[in-house]
Parts: sequence; structure tokens; C-alpha cells
Amino acid sequence: MSKEITFTFNGNRMTARVEDHWTLLHFIREELGYTGTKEGCGSGECGACTVIVDGAAVNSCLYLTVELDGRSLMTIEGLAAADGSLHPLQKAFVEHGGIQCGFCSPGMILSAKALLDENPAASDEDIRTAIAGNLCRCTGYIQIIDSIKSVRGEAPEGPRVVAWRDEER
Amino acid sequence: MPSFNTVGKRVPKLDAADKATGRSRYIQDLKLPGMLFGRILYSKYAHARIVKIDASKARALPGVRAVLTGEDIPEIKMGVYKDNRPLKKGKVRSYRDEIAAVAAVDPQTAREALELIDVVYDPLPAVFDPEAAMQEGAPLVHEAHQTNVLRMPWKLHYGDVEAARREAAFTVSERFTTTWVTHCCMGTSGAIAEFDPGNNLTIHSNTQIPSLAQKEFLEALAAMGLPDRRVRVIKPCIGGGFGSKLDTYAYEYIAILLAYHTRRPVKIEFDRTEEFIATSARQPTITTISQGCDRNGKLLFRDVKMILDNGAYTSWGATTPSVMMMPITTLYRVPNVRYEASCVYTNNTYSQAMRGYGNPQATFAIESTIDMLAEAAGIEPLEFRRINANQPGDVSTQGLRITTCGLAECMEAVKAQLGWEQSRSRGEGVGIASLIHVGGGARVYKSDGCGAMLKMDDFGKVDIFTGATDMGQGSDTVIAQIVAEELGLNIEDIHVIHSDTDVCPWDVGAHASRTTFVAGNAALGAARKIKSRILEMAAKELYAPLEKLVLGRRHIQHVDEPDRRVEIGKLLRKAHFSHGGQMLMAESFYDPANENMGKDFRGNMSMTYTFGVHGVRVKVDEETGKVKVLNYVAAHDVGRAINPMLLEGQVYGGVMMGLGYALSEQVIMERGENMNPNFRDYKILTARDVVPIAAPVLETPDKDGPYGAKGIGEPGCVPTAPAVANAIYNAVGVRIKDLPITPERVLAAIRAKKGMDLCGRKTGTDSGEACVIEE
Amino acid sequence: MRNFTYLVPRSLNEAISMHESRRGRAKYIAGGTDVLVKMKEGKLAPDGLISLRHIIGQDRPFLNTETGELYIGAFMTHRSIERSPLVQHRYPVLHDAVKNIGSVQIRNVATIGGNLVNAVPSADGAIPLIALDGKAHIYGAKGYRLIDLARFFLGPGQCDLQGAEILTEIIIPPLSPRTGGAYVKHGRREAMELPMLGVGVLLSLEADLTTCAKARVCLGVAAPTPFRAREAEAYLTGRPVTEETLSEAGRIAAGESRVRDSIRGVAWYRREMVGVLVKRMGMLALERAKKRNE
Repeated sequence: MSKEITFTFNGNRMTARVEDHWTLLHFIREELGYTGTKEGCGSGECGACTVIVDGAAVNSCLYLTVELDGRSLMTIEGLAAADGSLHPLQKAFVEHGGIQCGFCSPGMILSAKALLDENPAASDEDIRTAIAGNLCRCTGYIQIIDSIKSVRGEAPEGPRVVAWRDEER
Repeated sequence: MPSFNTVGKRVPKLDAADKATGRSRYIQDLKLPGMLFGRILYSKYAHARIVKIDASKARALPGVRAVLTGEDIPEIKMGVYKDNRPLKKGKVRSYRDEIAAVAAVDPQTAREALELIDVVYDPLPAVFDPEAAMQEGAPLVHEAHQTNVLRMPWKLHYGDVEAARREAAFTVSERFTTTWVTHCCMGTSGAIAEFDPGNNLTIHSNTQIPSLAQKEFLEALAAMGLPDRRVRVIKPCIGGGFGSKLDTYAYEYIAILLAYHTRRPVKIEFDRTEEFIATSARQPTITTISQGCDRNGKLLFRDVKMILDNGAYTSWGATTPSVMMMPITTLYRVPNVRYEASCVYTNNTYSQAMRGYGNPQATFAIESTIDMLAEAAGIEPLEFRRINANQPGDVSTQGLRITTCGLAECMEAVKAQLGWEQSRSRGEGVGIASLIHVGGGARVYKSDGCGAMLKMDDFGKVDIFTGATDMGQGSDTVIAQIVAEELGLNIEDIHVIHSDTDVCPWDVGAHASRTTFVAGNAALGAARKIKSRILEMAAKELYAPLEKLVLGRRHIQHVDEPDRRVEIGKLLRKAHFSHGGQMLMAESFYDPANENMGKDFRGNMSMTYTFGVHGVRVKVDEETGKVKVLNYVAAHDVGRAINPMLLEGQVYGGVMMGLGYALSEQVIMERGENMNPNFRDYKILTARDVVPIAAPVLETPDKDGPYGAKGIGEPGCVPTAPAVANAIYNAVGVRIKDLPITPERVLAAIRAKKGMDLCGRKTGTDSGEACVIEE
Repeated sequence: MRNFTYLVPRSLNEAISMHESRRGRAKYIAGGTDVLVKMKEGKLAPDGLISLRHIIGQDRPFLNTETGELYIGAFMTHRSIERSPLVQHRYPVLHDAVKNIGSVQIRNVATIGGNLVNAVPSADGAIPLIALDGKAHIYGAKGYRLIDLARFFLGPGQCDLQGAEILTEIIIPPLSPRTGGAYVKHGRREAMELPMLGVGVLLSLEADLTTCAKARVCLGVAAPTPFRAREAEAYLTGRPVTEETLSEAGRIAAGESRVRDSIRGVAWYRREMVGVLVKRMGMLALERAKKRNE
């Protein structure tokens, strides 16, 4: 079976006819032809295929393309500016040694982006948690964490208090 | 200290922006027009006769273009010992044995075709324990070989170990084991093979040995009845190496065979399960070691016997004893040394090179027993090591010549930065371990050389063609820095081409931490030739004596008169666009003056050696056996850091890989079958497991290294496991002798020390109920 | 992955009729992180997948302030539970568990209901919910039924869902006063682990803040299904909660567990860790119970 879906791809509205069984990873790489999204394991255990859907980092290898309908997708190709200039996170990874073999880098950078978009003043612990699902065998993560730290915003002054309230029915 | 423009700077990797934007093309990203997809069927048994293979149903499946079995292919011999072939014939010797292969129009059809191949096996008795495999009457893995013990006599004896043993005031003897761990490159393996109408082969492959692979593929073509053809090896961007790509693999030959049979490009790309199962791990070892010292703590002898589980076939893992000899004979001053290693065939997976190449296994045994010996002698462990530290100018019993050595300084750095003498809470401990590794290449092949070719254009830009392989470590960047420095250019003026045997010169491969040293020297040699020609031209142009001219910032200028200068590009254009014009090109081939080992294994295998000391602070949870690493210091003597940022990246990455080796990683092999071929259960460390690591760098510029540099690719993961084991001993008084150091092992050792069984009851007391270990 | 039809019902009834009309050849899918892996591995090959992601009203936890009951929609992602301030502050035992399931990427799509119906012995989400006396709200062709989550798990990979039934919600009864709970997943790494063992303890204290009024000791991977160590719970009830009594409870719970050897851990070690971790989670639960009283 196939379905027609409409979604936003790296900022551009797009309509496509997709097979029900296509994973998002397959769709991005084989149908759209963007190969920056990598397959490292195919079972959600390495994070190399991480993309951002509606602001949240997801493993595209375990996400069905039909579920993209009405949503917004960002891949690594959508991060740099139209003139090719690097996003601050990409620049940070380049300048701080956050990249060696580079296979994990697109997914790693997108996990970091999803984190910082939501929490610009992420703590070291937040950073390590956000990229815990992105395995890297080259760097030992240290320079990756340094890269992300270099672009995070300052923490707001005073302790971070999260208020909660009972959510009522 | 000399001042440099690009050497010693934290220059970002040349390919980093491409990788950060997803533009880099890995094998996964390559497609050729008309390309077919190959897939391999593996054995269902560890050891069995192949009675019959029926591939007729697979051949009949629409979309299938070729099916090959061992019977369909010529005698292509693979591997270091030539005991392997791409598709097996007659019998299988391990679960990863390739039985058949298909090429189909898409990956799904190829998968389905494999399921249609019927194989009838006749299982044979198998052997999985190398010690059992050495016994008389054990099942033979290769009948023709007549014994399971490889005819690779790793055996040396320098001095007189027995006499030294009698003389020793203190002696320790122990047995250590290590198991399989694997590289876990994030980019899986793959190759695309294609023939032209003249049957010349182009193969795109993830390899660390383009030149040797080219030679082996040429031999395969000859075996296929295609002698005297050309082979072009093109490396895509490589998603990690760590030694895994130091040999050719069956899948590469299978891609070649399928491409030949179908006359179409054929791609084989491993999935993650296949990557775990069908690539080769680090060699497991059983080591018995004794060391002794005199009353003052001076080492008198070291006696090491080792059994290596070779698995069913032979790759570079079997030759790791050649590198183990280095720490065994030369880590610290040891006057009497004996070493003997046997590699033994079993029906397990076969092993390959992996970062450190035997050194981590050997150093685990050596440095664990050094701590034990220090304790026996009543000498503080750091002090004990200081007493025995190598010094510049030393020549070890094996004939290794120590040129530069910062071992003692590294100890000081660790002591200070780790807080060695700082007080420790309960369950906390510190440990150290040192390392020696080849730092100036290593002669494991007939040549240890690397070529470089350099050409300059009319604008002062450089193309340098190197034999080196960049698989992420950043060798391109280091080569560019060296060339830029030598020619007074900026880093962006240098373009490094390393990916194609049609245009790049020969290199023995990206191993032995040799690339900065060897490929760096080759690039430097070519750059120097160009430099002298530039200087000659400039001398005429500026009417200045050669010795008064310097290169820098894209110019040549007079040292005393900065205004007398000419832009390099302008000079080049002038040379080009004049009668009898010339353009600058130069080549260099650098083969370090290191030595092949003699028949007693003596010989200076490397031009220089890298030293390092690692210190670690751990906290052991005495109830659960879990070890938490609190702090890590990895100090190395690197000659010169050409690029401190990339160097630190090698150390950090090596240490985390080493911590995985020490604490969490293990290929679980049950009767020859890999039980955890996935990232769920093969536990490489995550960002949440990162520990604070300091990587102090000691510079001891080496006279032979490019700008004084020594190799640093592997050392980061060499002494990690013994440093951790020593720290655990320091913390809770138990000595773990088997890797990985799992919580189970630590807890069992803690209980044994307290005189308890595994269930925490006092042994020897009759509690009336047995400690049930299994259900 | 083989081709299949992806169906998107908008209501529970529509989902059930879709499932029934396909006579067992269709499978429900929520986040899909388990189903798709099984399909890729060839362990599942349904003709149709019926998505439960677009059924309205099952996507956040809420507390009925009148009854004190907490409702957790089965189709809530682990991430939304993890980030619920309500869960963080009132149900830390649940927060301990969901924040360490998989990775952020997995938690962003995987649902708590999916974790439960998968019914693996290692289901991190199940242990704290059982400890909280959670009830499974199940909807089928015959309407609703409610069962104790503790009885929901029948065996490895098997749960009490018949035919086209759907787990729609977990209902947590009101917390007793002075209640604290804690969960720990025991593994080698700090992230991306399937537990070698999962231990959740929930304690409600008497007004003296010492005596145990009610105890729940729940274990994962210590038996074929997640389970309550009822003898350990009975031992603690009425006794002062101390390191000693918790150690004894741990010892009893270890005796109740039916651990086995697997590639993720050996039996003796698992059993020993039941003892240690019940004690530790008990101490943490005690601390949290006292804090909640402040």
C-alpha cells in the first residue's frame, strides 16, 4: 500500500507518495536521495540515523514514513544556511575536534540541536543524556561534549526550579 | 624552541565540515549505474562437512543475477597464512564461514534468495578451547595442517631467565586471560567491485591497506584466470578503522567474483549483525607470566608464555606476538627475558589487528604483575616503576633502541594530576600502568614505506598525493600541516589526495601508529625537494643568497630585509610562463630505517618508541562489584604534537575504548557462536559513561620524526585495563586477572577474599544448604 | 522489511474492528520501536499495522484531584512521562524508570503501553507501575475491563490481552500518605541498557515515620515476568524500616526470585543483587517518604 503525505522537509513543504513499509531512513536516503542520515545498526541502538521530527530527535530507522504526514522533518542537510555557512553547532564540532570518522556526526549534531533548541542552557548532564543514544567509537565523546558546551547558552541565574501542578482532568 | 606557523596548532580536520554537513560519501552512500546487491550466506555450524548445496531455487528467483558457492569459484587463497578462501568448499570451520553468495537487483531480493539456498551439513566434533585444541586427538580444524598449533614459532630467550629467577629476591607468577573484543566501527564494512571490458578491476572498499589489498586482488584475478590485469582500489570516506580493515576480507573477493560473473558492478554492504559476526575481533589470550626483582626492586627477569586463540583461519591477529615482544622485552629495563607464544586453531571466529596489536593483552599481564611484584618487594608502585624506567640511549635485550623516552616525566605528570598521594575514601583506589609502543613505524612487512607526490599550481596551491589512509584519525590534516609548514603556505593551500591507488603512491597501510611518522616524513621529503627549488628560483629573483631566504605566509623573503620578498605564486607563474617553462612536482618515498626481526627476533623494529603512563582513580562498590572510574590521566611522550587537538582526540578515544576493554566489552562466544552481535549486548561505552580524562602531552622531539613527532594512534588503549585492575586492587585488595572486569568477577573476588562463597556465606561452615550457582 | 498496510484508526472502536476484520494478521503499533525491530529481524510479518498513535485522549498523565487517582494513557511516550513535573515530584519511582529507558530518541516515540504489552521480563516501565498498584485498563469488543497490572503478565512475551483488545490506560490508585518509592536498573553501562535486573521498592510509613504501613517490592528479570516479592513485602509490613529490616527483606526477595543465567548476567549474581538493591531502593524510598511528609 502507498499513501500520499505532506510534510515539511528542511523548511520546505513537500508532498510525496510513500509506501507504508518505508522507514523514514529509507525514505530520506533512497527516495529523497539525501545521504547525510546514516544507518549504523538499523535497530535504534546507535543513533547514527537521528533526525528531528517536530522538534524531537528520533531514530529514523524505527520511524515509519507514513507517520511523517503533517509533520516537520529536519535532516543534517537542513542545518547549514542556504549559502553553505555552517550552523553554530556544526562549526563547534569542526573547531573542537568533535568529528573523527564522521559517521556518527550528523546524528550526534542533530541530537545536540534538539536538546539546545529546547534547553539552550543545558547542563553537562543534560548534554550527556541527550547524546547517550548516539554511539561514537572514535572520540571517546569528550571533544563532542566540549563542542556542544561551547555553543550552549548561559544558565539563567539562580537555581533552576521547575514548578509542578496537579494536572486536572 | 622553534616557532611554527601550522605545526603544533589546533587545526580543524580538513574534512570536518563535509562530515558535519553530511556531505562525506561512505561506502553506504555510493551507487554505481546498474549496480547489483550481493549478500552472503553463512554457516549454521561451527564445524561441519558440506554435504550438498542446492541453489536452484535461489537461481530461479526473479531478480537474482548470480549465485556462487565454493564449488563455483577458483582457488583464491586468502589471509596471512593462506588458509582461507572466499567461499568455503568441503567443510565449514566456524559460524562465520561463507557458504554461498548471491547478486540481485535489490537488497531485499538478495536476502530472499539466500533463504532459498538449501545446505545439507554433516556436523563434525568441534573444538573451542585453545588449550584443548592443543591436546593430542583434538578435532583438527585444518586436517592438512596436521596439528591445530600454527607453525609460527614465536619464541625468544635473551639472557638467562632461570639463573635470574634463582637470584631474584622477589618473584611473582600469575595467569591472565583476555577475550574477544571488536572494533565497532560506526560505519559498517562494504565494497563495490566493477570490471571494465578488458577485465580490469575497480574496487571501492573500506580498507586500511590499499596497496596490499591491490596486490592481493591482483593475485585473486590471476587465480580467476585473469593475469596481468590492473586493479584500482578506491577508498570512500571510512567510518572508523581501528585495525579492522588491515586484511582483505572474504566479502571483498565475493564482490569481485559476483561482479565478474554478472558483468555488473556489485555492492556488498554489511548490516550491523554481520559486522559483529563476520569481521574479526581482537585476539584472545591466555598468559602465564612471572617476573622477579632484586632486593632493591630492580627487575631481573620476565618470563611469559602465551596461548592465542587463532580461530578457524589466520589473519593478522596471529602475528600480534611480534608486537607483544616489544612490551615483554622492553617495557622497563629487563635484563633476562623469555617469551613463547602458540597460536592455536579453534572453531571460533578468527582474529584481526585491533588498536594496540597485541600490546593491550601483553601489557595487561605485565603491568598487573609489576604491581604485584612491587607489593612483594615492599616498594610503592610508582617508585618501583621509576627504578626500572627506560632511559634515552638504552638498547633493550631485543635490540630496541630507545632514542627519546619521557617515561619518568609521564609518571610525574600522572602523579601530580591524578592526586596519587591524595587521601582515599573507602572503596576508592588509584592505579597506574605504563606503555611502550612503536612510534616510528614498525617493520611487519618487507617494506615499511610510504610514498608522497607533490605538485604545485600557478597560484601557490599544493596537491599532495599520499599513500596514507585517513579513516577518521586526521592523517590528511597532519600531512597538510607538515607540507604547509615546510613550504610557508597556509593550511587551506594544501589539498591532500589519499583515496585512489591509480593516483596515490604505495603505502604499507594505516597501522602501527605509523602514519604521522612515515607518511609525514614522506610528505616532508617531497616538500623539501620543492622547497629547495623554490628557494633557488627565489635566490635568482631576489638576488639573495640561498641561506638568507625563508618561506612563510605564502612568500619568500630575505631574513634581514623583510621588504625583499616575492609571493610564491608569482614565482611559480614566472617559472611556468617563460621559455623552457617548468612546473614544480616532486616525489618522495620514505622507508624508515627500522629493522626486520632476525631469527632470534632481535632487531630494532621501530625508529623510535612512544611511551606513556596512565593513572586512574576508581571507586569499587563492595556490595555490587561495580567499578566506577572517577578520574583518568593519560600522559604520553609524543615527540612533538603536530596537532594537539587531533592528538588529544586519539588519546581520549583510545582511553574510552580501553575502558570498554577493561570493564564492559566482550564478544560472548558460546561454542563458537557469537551471542551478542548487536549494540544492546555488546557494550561500547556511551556519553553517559564518559569519565574526566586529562591527557598531558610531553614533547621530546625525536630526531627522526617529522618535526620531531612520534606515533600516538594506538597508545591510548594500551595500558588502560591494567591501570584499572591495579586501582581495583588498591581499592579493595582483589586482583582481577581476567578481562573484562565485570561486576560479577569483582564481587566474586571480594567474597573469596573474605572467605565467602558466591552467595556470601562463610566457606567451610555447614549451613545445611548449598550455594546454588545455576538453575 | 516486508510490505504491509498501515491503518490509522481515529477511535478505539475503529481500531478494534480493523483488528478483528483482519483475523489475526494485523498487529497494533504505537511508537513502533519494538514492533519494527521484530519485523526487521523477521520475527513478525503482519499484513497490516494498526496505528494507535492517532487515537485521541490517551496522551498525557493526569491526576484526578477528587479521587487521587493518576491516569497514564497507554500511548504516552516515555519522554512525556519523564518530563511530566507531576510524575517527577509525586511518582519518583516511575520517573527513575522511564528516564533511563533506551535513549532520548527511543523515549521520544516509544510508549509506556508498548513497553507493557511487549511483556519482556526486563520491561522497565512495568516494575514501578506494579509497585504503585497500577491497574491495566483494557478495551475490547465487549467493552472495558480492569485488572491488576501485577496479573497482566503471563509469561515472557505474553500478557493478558485477548484478541483485538487494547491496553488503553494505567490507573494508579491514590498514594497513601508518607509514601516514597525508588527504582533502579542494574547494568554495566550508564545508558542504553536493558536491565540485568530491575528493582522497585515503594514504602508507605505510619505517622511515626518509621513503621512500614505498606510495602511493595517489585522485581524485573528476576523471573519470567515482572513480579511482586510478596513475602518480602509481608515481612516489612508492620516493622520499622531500617537498613537491617531492608537487608532481610532483600534476602527474602532474593529467595523468592527465579533468576537464571543469560548472556546479560549469571543467576547467582542476579540473586545477590536482588538482596543488595532491594535494601538500597528501600533506603531511598524511606528517605523520599520522609521528604514527602515535610
